[in-house]
Amino acid sequence: MLKGRTKFIKGYLFATPLLVVLTVAVLFPALYNLGIAFSEYNAASNSWRYAGLQNFAKLWNSPLFWNSFKVTLLWVVGNVSLQLIIGLAVALALNSIIRFRGPFTGILLIPWISSFVVVAILFIWIYDPQMGVLNDILLRMGLIEKPVAWLASPPLAQASLIVANTWKFFPLVMITLLAGLQDVSPELAEATQVDGANWLGTFRMVIFPTILPSISTGVLLSTIWAYNSFTLPIVMTGGGPLRATEIFGLHIFKLAFDAFDFGAAAAASLVLFIQIMIVIVLYLKVVERD
Amino acid sequence: MSLMASKRMRSRLTKGFVYTFLVMASAIVIFPYLWMALTSFKPIEEFFTYPLQWLSKNWTLSQYAGVLEDPKFLASLRNSLLVSSIVTAMSLVLSIPAAYGLTRLRAPGGKSVLVGILSSQFFPPMIFFVPFYIILSKFRLLNTIPGLVFAYLSVTLPICTWMVAATFRNIPRELEEAARVDGCGDIKTIFEVVLRMSLPGILTAGLFAFVLAWQEYIFALLYTTTTAAQTAPVLLFYYLGQHQIDYGRLMAAAVLLSLPVIFPFAFMQRYFRQGRGEGSIKG
Repeated sequence: MLKGRTKFIKGYLFATPLLVVLTVAVLFPALYNLGIAFSEYNAASNSWRYAGLQNFAKLWNSPLFWNSFKVTLLWVVGNVSLQLIIGLAVALALNSIIRFRGPFTGILLIPWISSFVVVAILFIWIYDPQMGVLNDILLRMGLIEKPVAWLASPPLAQASLIVANTWKFFPLVMITLLAGLQDVSPELAEATQVDGANWLGTFRMVIFPTILPSISTGVLLSTIWAYNSFTLPIVMTGGGPLRATEIFGLHIFKLAFDAFDFGAAAAASLVLFIQIMIVIVLYLKVVERD
Repeated sequence: MSLMASKRMRSRLTKGFVYTFLVMASAIVIFPYLWMALTSFKPIEEFFTYPLQWLSKNWTLSQYAGVLEDPKFLASLRNSLLVSSIVTAMSLVLSIPAAYGLTRLRAPGGKSVLVGILSSQFFPPMIFFVPFYIILSKFRLLNTIPGLVFAYLSVTLPICTWMVAATFRNIPRELEEAARVDGCGDIKTIFEVVLRMSLPGILTAGLFAFVLAWQEYIFALLYTTTTAAQTAPVLLFYYLGQHQIDYGRLMAAAVLLSLPVIFPFAFMQRYFRQGRGEGSIKG
């Protein structure tokens, strides 16, 4: 008993400095945010008072909030599905080769360690209507007749942003699925082929069931990062045109630092937080099962 | 044609298809950087030719000279370097003993604490927008390096702790016990056995923290407004916000900002390849 307790104390003694800093830098601000979401700021007396659900009611009645809700949903679904398709294709390709697998994997991971601001700037430059290389390539190939303003019309801007964000994030799905593919039994895959199954049959019967946990992990991770997005849209479009790319992160930013409505911003961030927490809980469930 | 031969033929075709696909995917991944580099060496006049001139006829370093002569950019590089170094050092100093206590000393509940710490790295940065702003302004830390360090620790600490703990778990317990039998105390065991054994993992965690801080953009944008603490990513954003965007200069600055990440990348790759995709970058 005594030994157990010393162990307990000693283990946490080592962890104390970290836990203190995390409390000050993460836990306290998060709780503070919770408090602000239920409060109202009075500029005249420079004080906060409890306001119940007032901030949430304000969001509920705000068309701009619902717009960002809709935009975020589109953004998440678009990103996650595109990243899953590309990540899966690349992971299967990498898994089926032996020579040059390392170098290819290394190159394909580059976007993942790229800085968000640099990625945003690269894509603004590529998408530029006059000087952009994307229009140049498409014009040369005869696929378009005149330059396209990729970031200027609402649906196209959203799609162009999703493509840029997928470029940045597909390696995460790729590497997660590649790890899962290592568990696929080659004997079993071969056996189905001897039985006359084609590639699709092998994929459906052997590969897919084995990598299903990795697929759920990949989907959940890319969902979380899509919800958490901020830098790419704010640098590339600032939420425009016509708020078509104003995802939650940007809406919260505008509430807080354009409108200086801290209460509403905190409330909106809680709405986002709750959605992400649901995804995190699902994620931890999947990880635990492994 | 025999069945064998047709099968071999087909597998060769599949191989060819797979390699073509991977070469194309790699090209798409590399192209934006290649284009950035090509742009950064072009004189401004060549930007407006039609159709675009991919390779410059008059390679120039003038864009780089322009960036490196800009005192604002140099100040922002200095700030980035300073913040990233402090954050890296603090992240390691705090996470190494904690990871040791929670994994090696088998602190009861240590696993749950670690999982809790890990989950916090998934928190949307938006929940910190307002509280950080209020806290930093109360302590007069807006627009200062210490203010940024405070905000950045919330990003680097969880992932650093998780990475270091993962390395520690792989050290055979026997080694540690042998050190104890030899009369080593906790501190000595940490230095002699645990740290030496897990140096690559710790180096990776440190590099990761550095890269995270070097690339951090959100908090830097929100909490710095002057050259006193403005970091390089934010300065790029301001270059972009100018009325006449000077893309050549912007690309040269982006190249300079990306360079310090190339070396750490070689190390971090190994970590990613083990499929630990959790380690991530907020944005």
